[in-house]
Amino acid sequence: MGISTLRSYRGAQIFEAVGLAKDFIDDYFTGTASRINGIGVAEVAREAEMRYKRAYAPAPGVPHLLDAGGQYHFRLGEEKHLWTPETITKLQFATRNNDMKMYKEYAKYINEQAEHLCTLRGLFKFKKAAQPVPIEEVEPASEIMKHFVTGAMSFGSISKEAHETIAIAMNRIGGMSNSGEGGEDPERYIRLPNGDSKCSAVKQIASGRFGVTSEYLASARELQIKIAQGAKPGEGGQLPGHKVDKFVAKVRHSTPGVTLISPPPHHDIYSIEDLAQLIYDLKCSNTDARISVKLVSEVGVGTVAAGVSKGHADMVLISGHDGGTGASPLTSIKHAGLPWELGLAETQQTLVLNYLRDRIRVQADGQMKTGRDIVIGALLGAEEFGFGTTTLVVLGCVMMRKCHSNTCPVGVATQDPELRKRFAGQPEHLINFFRMIAEEAREIMAELGIRKFDDLVGRSDLLEMNKAIDFWKARNLDFSAVFKRPDNPNLPVRRTKAQDHGIDKAYDTVNILPKVQDAIENKKKVTLELPIHNVDRTVGTITSYHVAKKYGNAGLPEDTLTIKFKGSAGQSFGAFLSHGMTFELEGESNDYLGKGLSGGKIIVRPPVNASYNPSENIIVGNVLLYGATDGKIFIYGRAGERFAIRNSGVTAVVEGLGDHGCE
Amino acid sequence: MGNPKGFLEVGRKNPGYRPAEERVKDYNEVETHLSEADLKKQASRCMDCGIPFCHGCGCPVSNVIPEWNDLVYKGFWKEALDILRSTNNFPEFTGRICPALCEASCTVGLNGDAVTIRQIELEIIEKGYKEGYIKPEPPAVRTGKRIAVIGSGPAGLAAADQLNKSGHSVTVFERDLNVGGLLRYGIPDFKLDKKVVQRRVDLMVAEGVTFETGVDVGTDLSAKYLTNRFDAICITTGAKAPRDLKTAGRELEGVHFAMEFLWQQNCRVCGQVFEGENITAKGKKVLVIGGGDTGSDCVGTSNRHGAKAVTQIEIMPEPPETRHPGTPWPLWPYQKRTSSSHKEGCTRMWNIATKSIEGENGKVKRVNAIKVEWELGPTGAPLKMKEIPGSEFVIEADLVLLAMGFTGPEQGGIISQLGLELDQRSNVKVNADWMTSKPGVFAAGDVASGASLVVRAIAAGRKMAENVDKYLGNNK
Repeated sequence: MGISTLRSYRGAQIFEAVGLAKDFIDDYFTGTASRINGIGVAEVAREAEMRYKRAYAPAPGVPHLLDAGGQYHFRLGEEKHLWTPETITKLQFATRNNDMKMYKEYAKYINEQAEHLCTLRGLFKFKKAAQPVPIEEVEPASEIMKHFVTGAMSFGSISKEAHETIAIAMNRIGGMSNSGEGGEDPERYIRLPNGDSKCSAVKQIASGRFGVTSEYLASARELQIKIAQGAKPGEGGQLPGHKVDKFVAKVRHSTPGVTLISPPPHHDIYSIEDLAQLIYDLKCSNTDARISVKLVSEVGVGTVAAGVSKGHADMVLISGHDGGTGASPLTSIKHAGLPWELGLAETQQTLVLNYLRDRIRVQADGQMKTGRDIVIGALLGAEEFGFGTTTLVVLGCVMMRKCHSNTCPVGVATQDPELRKRFAGQPEHLINFFRMIAEEAREIMAELGIRKFDDLVGRSDLLEMNKAIDFWKARNLDFSAVFKRPDNPNLPVRRTKAQDHGIDKAYDTVNILPKVQDAIENKKKVTLELPIHNVDRTVGTITSYHVAKKYGNAGLPEDTLTIKFKGSAGQSFGAFLSHGMTFELEGESNDYLGKGLSGGKIIVRPPVNASYNPSENIIVGNVLLYGATDGKIFIYGRAGERFAIRNSGVTAVVEGLGDHGCE
Repeated sequence: MGNPKGFLEVGRKNPGYRPAEERVKDYNEVETHLSEADLKKQASRCMDCGIPFCHGCGCPVSNVIPEWNDLVYKGFWKEALDILRSTNNFPEFTGRICPALCEASCTVGLNGDAVTIRQIELEIIEKGYKEGYIKPEPPAVRTGKRIAVIGSGPAGLAAADQLNKSGHSVTVFERDLNVGGLLRYGIPDFKLDKKVVQRRVDLMVAEGVTFETGVDVGTDLSAKYLTNRFDAICITTGAKAPRDLKTAGRELEGVHFAMEFLWQQNCRVCGQVFEGENITAKGKKVLVIGGGDTGSDCVGTSNRHGAKAVTQIEIMPEPPETRHPGTPWPLWPYQKRTSSSHKEGCTRMWNIATKSIEGENGKVKRVNAIKVEWELGPTGAPLKMKEIPGSEFVIEADLVLLAMGFTGPEQGGIISQLGLELDQRSNVKVNADWMTSKPGVFAAGDVASGASLVVRAIAAGRKMAENVDKYLGNNK
């Protein structure tokens, strides 16, 4: 949101109303976004009166107690939740015993919300299809399961056991698990003897850049830039010091016991162009991985998603508000973020209308719990679905809401060695869960007459509001804006082609890689001299990828590959440079030099004939070494602002800095 | 939750019982109490779960357990009492005799020993009485509506208490001479001291509830009388029809239903004179048929009578010592339960069926039994039984007590006079609003759901009361 101070919130109108009538908004919250209509003054008054009456009605025989509320802690008869003792028990029983009947009972409670409305999708219903198809003709669950990913929950926030179990399960079913932003122990990149892999397919790159090394990036099938989290947009994240034990600290390249904060913004993203640059940097750091961008459901997200698509991301994730419950501050659990239904619909509509949908996949997450949830998500425009909390519940979470205190009694969200021993989740439980979700989805697809999951995507015309749910406050809701499809039926509504990342035209591909095979393959010393221009971005990163893929963070022996550049380097010069690579630059460099440096060495000096005094002049741009983990950098001259933020291991010599250096 | 790591640092402490050799000599309560300091420590073991399963699926009255645990830990006993009273009319009963479904679903119990919720509940209410927090609080305004509650067991008492506090004028009719139903005449004093029951009854009287005891509605009073005089009728007469043993020798002297035996002892303890044959276990070889709670109460009572030997047999197999995997947390565990009475001395046998009873001179002498085996279901629950040929054996007994459960409400009486529809299990049928087939007549507790726990009866009584209140137009 670009808002960092409290004062900036005032009058900024970044809030969106959900469920308020248009005339009510016009009168009292003029200019505020409100997309699904809803209650007006009469209903507000009625509710106030109800509360008043309740407050003054005598309760038989007991002292007048204030209601418990039940917002954060489940209390019977108070605020409704989808996670109840019953649903948790049923889901855990179903997944542990592979009991589809029990799963159906669980799903029924979640899906049929007539008595306990909790979500917007609880008010949706599928239109009756003219021609249902036999379920045998619907594609098998194993295919549908490939559309599933697990949420970004870092190692550190959750235990090693939980994190690895999720990875194994997802790798088995061909889905993807997400590292979160806590780095990953390189041990996990080694396949287990039984063929399992503990490697998270999705590696997240968040603002903290913890443990983002060249090897971490090279090990991924997807690199995900987390702009924000659905449950707490604009807040960043933090891992309390008591959860940062020795091992967590090692993986994150930090100090045990010290609270780790991921700030709201990325220091290398201040504009959509910066985001495009980071997308390119990451694509170069692992040319085999796809790049995704995690956004949150909020009004205007469609515009941002359009930028993400133009910025050549392969996937955009729209994250709903009700996810991330354990990790969110109390203030955010209830009143920040929006349902994914709204953000997803807006994203789909914007991308389709702007001819941008065919080259990017869309994912949605936020309390995805059942097959019905994912079918609705698909109809509103998503190809993929993320499961966070539900994943943990399957693995034993009982919604203690103690994730922040390191006392999780089931060994899921704790680093306490004693409590970790209690972790009882198995990959099979998760696989059972995903298969049951897929089976439920298949049943719905059969009723809708749709055989292939891809054919669901964007078919919001198959949804309508469930008028049978007669709740007085829901009567004026109008979802037509959410269900709207672009008038032109010929516009692609799902991804049909790949993004052009321009990797084949990249500087590394053309100028470096062909000449350094001997260095990479045989560790032979190679020295090159190359000219460089400011249009040459992210130089050295693709080469580093090849080094990291082969040798990990250890890289090559020192100075195996030395390249002497002359000229003006573009952005992200030497980003994620691997060990054994030495870049000498005579000239100057743009922003992001040495971003995420991973053991490489960078030397920058002004042209020999420079007429200025380097100690008084900036010769490299802003945001150098952001998130760097290892290596050396020597700059004969001054650097710009935000130098070496989140550096966790690089030795740097520089003659002067702008503001915020080394924060 | 004052101490987030309490469950890791403090172990569960049970109050324990008085020494067996001491306690079998009297009828006083066997369980001791934890000190206030201990209880505070025990309360610190509560984890203040995001989803408290104790409250959300364990406790039938939905006690808001985490909140009073926290208050007890911090020393706010009065506040804890207020919250406890908001969900449970009679914590002094459940605090003593509830099997504590809450503890079975306590999240600490998932990987250790559950919080001592029942002890904490008991201490909160007892402290309330001691400190004078519990005093008569009659309703400020009377509605003028009259309600008859028939049967003064836990369901009837809970309904009467709720309805009285809502301002209705409640008359409770009780067939026995004293109030309390099974609380008074079923459960032995050594588990629930009858002074505790009377203390509550006295309080209810002081709050304006009328009790008419020794009145057998249906015999002494007609249904017509009640419907004419009351705006609503609540049937809470329990499910007292005992399951009988249909076998040769059933008619012999010395073969009794458990409830006859327990009823007499409870009369003796509270000084109530009764007619009929005096059933005593003194100097006798006692055989209790039925392995449930009632059977256990017969064991304890027999030992107190001075029985020569006590044997308890059960047709079902012996449950596992710990939670059976077929009933995982937070479900009520299928596992063996050993009561204080069992520990006072008795032989327990499982997988035993009774073939016949034999006697001499019309008096019971022995029981012919046979071993059986069970086919178990996937959850470990016994499904099908068959006798093991050749395993017949004899149990010497001169007192046989039948504690094989209850089949349902006693038929006839007020239920048939009112013409109430019954369900398949012969319970009185009620709709979602707890109303029977006759408008204005409600039913709750064992009479509507079959024999169950005191705490479920209280829960049902409360829910019925809420609906009676609604029916009478007091739905604010």
